[in-house]
Amino acid sequence: MDLQIRNLSKTYANGVHALKDVSLTIPAGMYGLLGPNGAGKSTLMRTLATLQEPDRGSVHLGDVDVLKDKERARESLGYLPQEFGVYPRESAERLLEHFAVLKGLTDRRVRRETVDALLHQVNLHDVRKQKLGGFSGGMRQRFGVAVALLGNPRLIIVDEPTAGLDPAERVRFLNLLSGLGERSVVLLSTHIVEDVAELCSRMAIIDRGTILLEGEPLRAVEALRGRIWRKVVPRGELEALERTHAVLSTRLLAGRTVVRVYAEALPDAGFELAEPGLEDVYFRVMGGHGVSRAVQPRREVAS
Amino acid sequence: MMLREIFRYELGLQARRVTPWLSFVLLLGFVYQVANEAQIEQARDGGYLFNSPFALGVVSVLGSLMGLLVPAPLAGDAAARDVQLRMHPLFYTTPVGRTAYLGGRFLAAFALTALVVLAVPLGLLLAAYAPGPEPELLGPLRPAAYASVYLCITLPNAFVACALMFSLAVLSRRAMTAYLGAVLLFATTLAGRIYVADKLKHWGAGKLVDPLGFTVLNELSKSWTPGEKNTQLLELAEALAANRLLWLALAAAALAFTHLRFRFAHPGVEAGRSRRATVVLSPPARIGPITVPPVRPAPGAVARTRQVRAVAAQSLRALIAGPGGVALVLMPLFLLLVAPEIMQHMGVPKAPSTRLLTGFISANGDLLGMVMPLLVIFCAGGLVWREREAGVSELADAAPTPDWVPFLGKLAGLALMVVLLQAALTATSLLIQVWLGHTAFEPRVYLSVLFGLKLADHLLFALLALGVHVLVDQKYAGHAVLLIVYGLRFFGPSLGLEDPLWVYGSDPGWEYNDLSGFGPHLTAWAWFKAYWAAWALLLAVAARLLWVRGRVSGPRERLLLARRRLTRPVALTGALAGAAVLGVGGFIAYNTHVLHPFRTRAQLEEARAEYERRYGQYARLPQPRLTSVRLHVELHPRHRRAELRGTYTLVNRGREAMATLHVGLAEGVETGPLRFDRTATPSHMDAELGHSVYTLQPPLQPGEALELGFEVRFAPRGFTHGWADASVVRNGTYVLPRRWLPAIGYQEGRELNEAGVRRAHGLAPRPPIPTLEDSEGLRELGAGRIAFDAVVGTDAGQVAVAPGALRREWTESGRRYFHYVTDVPISHDYALYSAAYAVREARWRDVALQVFHHPGHPGNVERILHGMQASLDFLTEQFGPYPHRQLRFVEHAGEGIGLHSAPVNVSYKEGFSQLQSEADPREVDFPFAVVAHEVAHKWWGNQLKPAPVVGAPLLNESLSWYSALGVVERTYGRAHLERLLAVMRLEYLTPRSRAGVPLLQAVEWFHAYRKGPFAMFALREYVGEARVNGALRTMMEKYGAGQPPLPTSLDLYRELQAVTPREQQGLLHDLFAANTYWELKTKRATVEPAEGGAWRVSLDVVARKVVVDEVGHLSEVPMDEPVELGVYAAAEGEGQGEPLHLGMTRVRSGEQRLTVTVPKRPARAGIDPRHLLIDVNPEDNTVDTKTEDAVLIGRH
Repeated sequence: MDLQIRNLSKTYANGVHALKDVSLTIPAGMYGLLGPNGAGKSTLMRTLATLQEPDRGSVHLGDVDVLKDKERARESLGYLPQEFGVYPRESAERLLEHFAVLKGLTDRRVRRETVDALLHQVNLHDVRKQKLGGFSGGMRQRFGVAVALLGNPRLIIVDEPTAGLDPAERVRFLNLLSGLGERSVVLLSTHIVEDVAELCSRMAIIDRGTILLEGEPLRAVEALRGRIWRKVVPRGELEALERTHAVLSTRLLAGRTVVRVYAEALPDAGFELAEPGLEDVYFRVMGGHGVSRAVQPRREVAS
Repeated sequence: MMLREIFRYELGLQARRVTPWLSFVLLLGFVYQVANEAQIEQARDGGYLFNSPFALGVVSVLGSLMGLLVPAPLAGDAAARDVQLRMHPLFYTTPVGRTAYLGGRFLAAFALTALVVLAVPLGLLLAAYAPGPEPELLGPLRPAAYASVYLCITLPNAFVACALMFSLAVLSRRAMTAYLGAVLLFATTLAGRIYVADKLKHWGAGKLVDPLGFTVLNELSKSWTPGEKNTQLLELAEALAANRLLWLALAAAALAFTHLRFRFAHPGVEAGRSRRATVVLSPPARIGPITVPPVRPAPGAVARTRQVRAVAAQSLRALIAGPGGVALVLMPLFLLLVAPEIMQHMGVPKAPSTRLLTGFISANGDLLGMVMPLLVIFCAGGLVWREREAGVSELADAAPTPDWVPFLGKLAGLALMVVLLQAALTATSLLIQVWLGHTAFEPRVYLSVLFGLKLADHLLFALLALGVHVLVDQKYAGHAVLLIVYGLRFFGPSLGLEDPLWVYGSDPGWEYNDLSGFGPHLTAWAWFKAYWAAWALLLAVAARLLWVRGRVSGPRERLLLARRRLTRPVALTGALAGAAVLGVGGFIAYNTHVLHPFRTRAQLEEARAEYERRYGQYARLPQPRLTSVRLHVELHPRHRRAELRGTYTLVNRGREAMATLHVGLAEGVETGPLRFDRTATPSHMDAELGHSVYTLQPPLQPGEALELGFEVRFAPRGFTHGWADASVVRNGTYVLPRRWLPAIGYQEGRELNEAGVRRAHGLAPRPPIPTLEDSEGLRELGAGRIAFDAVVGTDAGQVAVAPGALRREWTESGRRYFHYVTDVPISHDYALYSAAYAVREARWRDVALQVFHHPGHPGNVERILHGMQASLDFLTEQFGPYPHRQLRFVEHAGEGIGLHSAPVNVSYKEGFSQLQSEADPREVDFPFAVVAHEVAHKWWGNQLKPAPVVGAPLLNESLSWYSALGVVERTYGRAHLERLLAVMRLEYLTPRSRAGVPLLQAVEWFHAYRKGPFAMFALREYVGEARVNGALRTMMEKYGAGQPPLPTSLDLYRELQAVTPREQQGLLHDLFAANTYWELKTKRATVEPAEGGAWRVSLDVVARKVVVDEVGHLSEVPMDEPVELGVYAAAEGEGQGEPLHLGMTRVRSGEQRLTVTVPKRPARAGIDPRHLLIDVNPEDNTVDTKTEDAVLIGRH
């Protein structure tokens, strides 16, 4: 069962063009949506989660028209918003039970079992009686996942879940997510490249409301093999280098600058061939070097 | 420096918003409107000037009440914005000190508030100098007056409000709490004014408790003369200064406390509060594949029900953890606190009946009744915004529940909270009843009043509140809209919304009483509630369509969504609700506009004015006098119908023939064609104003009699928009035939009275009550007696009562008939009663005494009988015979205590039966005195009937109370009388202006019921009882027949002058012919032993006597007259000790020393110890005595 997004557009009242004619087909499994802050990720996610009306376009989950038949879409939906709060004085178990009822788990015995199992799964079972107000960011996120997973959803939308988590929490959280992508469509939006690299079998890069690239991360990385060059330069040379080469990224390493550039062949003396990564794909696309939604490096015109 | 920057930035930030300027405009408009509403009428009526300093003060206080809403958003935002926007880490880590941070924020909020409330003086200026008030209503423009009200009232109030709100918001870290501060101040003001000052009579405390100065102004309004109100500037003197100082100090203390408690720390984790927000440590990670139990949700009706139930339970829990829980504690507590106040009348304990308690709880105008809708508004806002404020909305909105589930669930939660509150109030009431040993529980009344009528009201309002909050989709705007809708119930009529069809939730009103239950009120009530329920349903449909889910970017999108949500069932429901609104509304309109003409207050006034304009010319036209009334009355209590057929005998008592007869017809009944025993052609029929003129052929010659037959039907069809006529009810029928039967001649009573209203309608100015100078022509008005003969039929199982002797009683075709005939002519003012009465009978000589009472109200029946016997004993001995062979007290339905003494029968309302004077800790039998007062009316009022001019209340009310004092003294003794007088003197504690007319021109309540009897009693003590009562007996002999000329207060004065010795003529004049006040004070009383075991008492006293005229000009008059001097021994237990000396001493104006020697050691001494002379501070007349040594020691 796929999620079909066709020609979705949204313009806000203040003139911001959040989505421009976005079309995507998202199969089952983990799907990464990568983009900088303000790229339109959240607008897209909320639209898919039935919480926002687009100006144009359609969304289908299998045979369900998500925009028209919201109620049916919600029956298959798990949504973890980018930002959410909790009732600080309620316990995790109680609030989760409440959401379970809202999701239709109205049979008490079944609900109890489900809630209990979920709390185990997200590793909150030991603190289920504690007030949510005292939870850390990671625990809160995991609670959100538990809410999203209630009712066995077929479409799970997770909006920037790792922002603000410490490294350990992030690892735990990603592990949790990776367990989900077996039977459902899991759409993960993030601006952290590693999240996608580690988890997703497919991905899209979005910026200013437009999909810049869509494909499999591994293949996109593979397509760059032999074209990413690395050089360590003193800081003063960086500017000159940027004028003459397609610099993808620069990184400081022990007081000197490591520059990565894209080039069909060895660009200059002192450069060495580098192992491509998803970050290179991202920066190349964001830098305007990608011209289509598929990775077509061979037709690239050098700048 | 820091403080300045914070102040500057905050001021700039807030001043750029719309809120302060919007509130400026609103406040300006409010003040302008209130000034016109509240002050222009009184100024036109000849009170004080429209722009007098006092008027400015009154409006400023009202402006402050409304102005409480000005600082709430400003202070709340300044205090809690950072935390709420989660910006606090940025601010808290700057090197700004607490003082600069809080101080700058507070000062900015206060500065802006001070600027905004300038709208009050500006609104006042606008009201005075915009077109509207006539120039003669305005005094000269005095900038100092405006400045003084701003500086003494508006600005301090703004500071207190701002400081309290700021503190609350800082400490709670929520801007919304500032509004709680507004509510608190509002409630404290009302509590100070209504409960402490008015009900408890602690004016001193009330003036302090009230934070806005309402009570201080209120006292001034009673105690200042119009002259003072026009000229005196409000300044920080005495009461106002004390009040301002106290509250400014409290405000400063609140700020200081806030400063002390505030920490630059992350909310929730600072030391000392860690218990509440425990930080939970993350358990160790355990990684594994996720396997969610594959459960299919169960959609369908059962699931929906459970979801609604879950939302309801959650909402209820949230409410109880918040405002609902506070109310659940405070409202019952408040009920407990004020219960003693509810259950007393003038200090006499009342039985804690269910009717009394439920009546208090459900009264719209009382505090509990007012708090409930406000609470509902507040809670509804909280519920609608709960998910969004907590940030859970996106989680909840994505759940597969229909939009109506949360709406319905929240409604159910709110409803449950209201039910819980009603239950808590019921439980509290039951507790009070159990506590006081009341055993007659009435669960049915609790159920029908608190869980029926009132619950319906509250639920309708809850639905409105939720609906409006959903539709408005802006929390504070939602609150504001709802407050306005709620306020319309109170202010709607004055804004022109007199038709209740336009005011949400309104109904024509109802009451419950023990005799007649809900009477005729429920029908209209049910229709109105059905009408509002239809509206509520319509609103719910709208809320369902416009329910906000997810992100909605604007109204266009909301409407688009709504169109998509408009499914068949929703549309059908909406259509059904709309049809119900139209259908039920149409039916109500048919009742209130077609079956009964709907007339606004203005139209009613205009009709009265028009009546005077058209027929005022006949006011002095000689008309025949009514000499006999024969009635056949058929009462149908079960069907709320009555027919009165009858015949008047009219006699020409004048010297000239009368050719025309003017007849006034009553409203609310159908009067059939009149029958005459001679040719009478209707020459003028005015159905609209109810006035007909008949030309008599031949004219009625002097001494000749005319018979007039009539047939009047009372059979209301449907219902009206106002209070239903409850005279004929299932049980407890109380009919005043005079209101329904044809009236002879022009009816002065229909004229408009208030000077301003008369002027507005272009009617000639006249005093509200004719003056003594006008009395000559009026000494015939209302004079004369009638022979009365009535057959009254009623339902089986009821007893009908009318004046006169019961000649016969029979049953005919399932109905009971009673035939009453008076043995002595009576005045044409009586009532007819019918109810399932119990009767208690006794005799006094040849007079049959009867008490007709509700079987469930045996209270005070014996006391009434005792009072009748004791009164007849005393009154017949003192003032002459009782003319009738019967004397009855008849209970009738209705809230309150009121009694009315008509010939033969005295009516008393249910409340009187609930008085429990045996539980009165003051040991005063007040109800007994009231019974004596009513019996005394059989002489003063029924026999001696005063001319309808000023001073008439002195002749009936004052003399009846004076007589009752005699009955009490004769029955219970002198000490009891003194206690009764002390209770009556409590009325001095209510502030009132000393300006006024002499007693001979008495019209107002205080003169009639207090000052008049006090003056008569003082005269009796100075002149002697035999002389005074002798004069009254002479009055009775001269005027007791009720034939013209009717007496005025001057006739009484003449008789009193005749019996008063020369040396007391001055006192007589001071008491009755001038508005005199004595200011007597004993400063010190020292005692020293004298020879022979006696004690010499030296009193340092100050005396002064003033005369205050009508506008308050005060002139001192020299005083040199006998005043009582009293010396008392130490009291055993409470109260006054045994008198050691009580005698007259001459007292002059000014300070003086008086000495007297007494046989035993005294404890208390002073002048006028029994408070015979009129003195507004009676308590300083006597002091505790001190021995000379103590005084000497004290001086060292």
